[in-house]
Amino acid sequence: MANHWQTIYPMRSLLTIYTNRFKLPKGSYTNGFPFYFLAMKFKIFLFFVGAIIAGCQKENTEEVLDPYVLRRPDYFPEITYLISGNQISKSGFELGKKLFNDPILSLDNSIACSNCHVKAVAFTDPQHNPSVGIFEREGSRNSPMIANMAFQPEFLWDGGITHLDFVPIFAIENEKEMAETAEGVVRKLNASPIYPTLFKKTFPSLDTITAPYMLKALSQYMLLLVSDQSKYDQFLRGEVNLSSEETAGLTLFKAKCASCHSGALFTNYAFLDNGLDFTHKDIGRALISARVEDTGKFKVPSLRNILLTSPYMHDGRFKTINEVIDHYRFHVKDKPNLDVRLKTDGKPGLPMSDQEVENLVSFFKTLTDYKFISNPIF
Amino acid sequence: MKRILILSLLALIITSCGKEEVIEKGAGSIDIEFDNVAVINNIQNQLSLVTPGSTNYNYTNGLGQPFNLNLLRYYISGIKLEGPNGASFTDEIKVDVAASKGIYLIDESKLAANIITLENVPAGEYNKISFTVGVDTSGVKEGASGGVLDPATCKMFWNWNSGYIAVKIEGQSPVSNGGVGGTETLNSSSVNGIAYHVGGWRNVEGSAFVNNNKSLSFNFDTNAKVEKGLEPHVHMILDVISLFKGQNMIDFTGNHNVHKPIDGKPLADNIPNAFSFDHLHQ
Repeated sequence: MANHWQTIYPMRSLLTIYTNRFKLPKGSYTNGFPFYFLAMKFKIFLFFVGAIIAGCQKENTEEVLDPYVLRRPDYFPEITYLISGNQISKSGFELGKKLFNDPILSLDNSIACSNCHVKAVAFTDPQHNPSVGIFEREGSRNSPMIANMAFQPEFLWDGGITHLDFVPIFAIENEKEMAETAEGVVRKLNASPIYPTLFKKTFPSLDTITAPYMLKALSQYMLLLVSDQSKYDQFLRGEVNLSSEETAGLTLFKAKCASCHSGALFTNYAFLDNGLDFTHKDIGRALISARVEDTGKFKVPSLRNILLTSPYMHDGRFKTINEVIDHYRFHVKDKPNLDVRLKTDGKPGLPMSDQEVENLVSFFKTLTDYKFISNPIF
Repeated sequence: MKRILILSLLALIITSCGKEEVIEKGAGSIDIEFDNVAVINNIQNQLSLVTPGSTNYNYTNGLGQPFNLNLLRYYISGIKLEGPNGASFTDEIKVDVAASKGIYLIDESKLAANIITLENVPAGEYNKISFTVGVDTSGVKEGASGGVLDPATCKMFWNWNSGYIAVKIEGQSPVSNGGVGGTETLNSSSVNGIAYHVGGWRNVEGSAFVNNNKSLSFNFDTNAKVEKGLEPHVHMILDVISLFKGQNMIDFTGNHNVHKPIDGKPLADNIPNAFSFDHLHQ
């Protein structure tokens, strides 16, 4: 019956749009419909429906924003990436996405960026603490979230990288991550049956693929991974209200946490010691700054999507958010390097009642951006 | 048909006119050559590199420790020329995904790369040159760039503390206790390896960040005359022996494995006195 409808009815496509819009199963208008009898009149009727829909759709397309343009929500920090040097295009974004998901970036073609940056959990690694790279090599650090990269001044837990373009090359060449060389990846890309065409499409002036082009494409993908659709974002835009628990949690958060986890991205990008250890297997920021005082300091992470991004801390030592909160309540180690904001009345720790913890977690739930992790474009 | 011909001729004329306008009136070129030498007993010897692992030690540092070199490579950027009568030329740095203009990689194993030809230099007389040894912020803030900054091929890029090595030196000394692995010419079996990867470009106030790029200026002993049809040739010298002495004595028994900005500072501070203007010919 449906096929018959298709062959004789030229406006099927419009009807499909119509049915889809109201989430009716396809064909529900055709089954048992006294078709031949009403065909003509129905045609006229559909013509009007079509016209109305077309009118509506026009309005809709005006509202739909081009998803391949980097936009800064007005309550976000300024964009740090120099877009003028790397104009984002749909094909560049898609090329970056393909590279991000392609194990060709690793030495034995076994591991892609997306292995340790899983979209469903805001581009972090839910399985390992710390993350595991090529040949089952255990890394020393917890795979950080890839979101809102366009607004960050420095990258990695130690801030060793100051430009987004240079982030992938670190993972590619790190012995414990992908153990490849940028040169090796470029060789493989040029020999691939598909990549030369894809690169040429994005960068028409390119002759052969080189590392800068590959890194620019990866940046185009990462730049557009903006997470700004959580309930908290809706709240900031005045679209929804927070529940009383969430509001209480936000108030507590502002009092106890927001001096470091500050601003719309919940980080002041400082490198701090949060009292986890007395001795440090990983010297953290000191690796970059070469200052003894920076030993064991790591970048304050963003808390967006916090309930998705387990495990926690630079080395992924905590599996649950409650372990994290308990660390700040009960287990902060008193040491000369400890950030002073983690002391209360001269004693290490941030006291909170169980009820306050519950409220805090309610607030954290508003930071989960379900649209971000389910965006089909990403 | 005729019309098309006339139109295309016109187009040709217009484009060629446009091209000529780009070149300033009477502008010419000038060559800057970097000669890498070893000064021994006040005599300049053309630098000779050895095959990695060689125990033939042709040089000694300020502490009398013998050594030889497998590799010598460094960046020169931001060249500026000035003259006694106000002539001035700045070789602008412009880096993008395809190229790195104004940044040059001097490599002792590729002698042809050691001559930098500056084009479109305004006619006039020049008697002063300034440049930076290394790649400063302008080369890093654009992100991944092509040409001599391509991080995959330049072999001068630090991926963990992102930025470019200014000067890279690798070789051997019998007094070194080795332990230099994972470099271009040395591996874990190189018992006498010495490696100086001198970099660091960040100046962060109140921190230990070290900017090891050095901005240097030299006067010529005569004026270099630039005009159309002339191409003066300036010879700059880098004395590798002076890199290991001068302000700081570099001891191959200790500081012989340098891969961090702070560790490279002693050698970086010797850089200004290791470069000199030698001569120019018209």
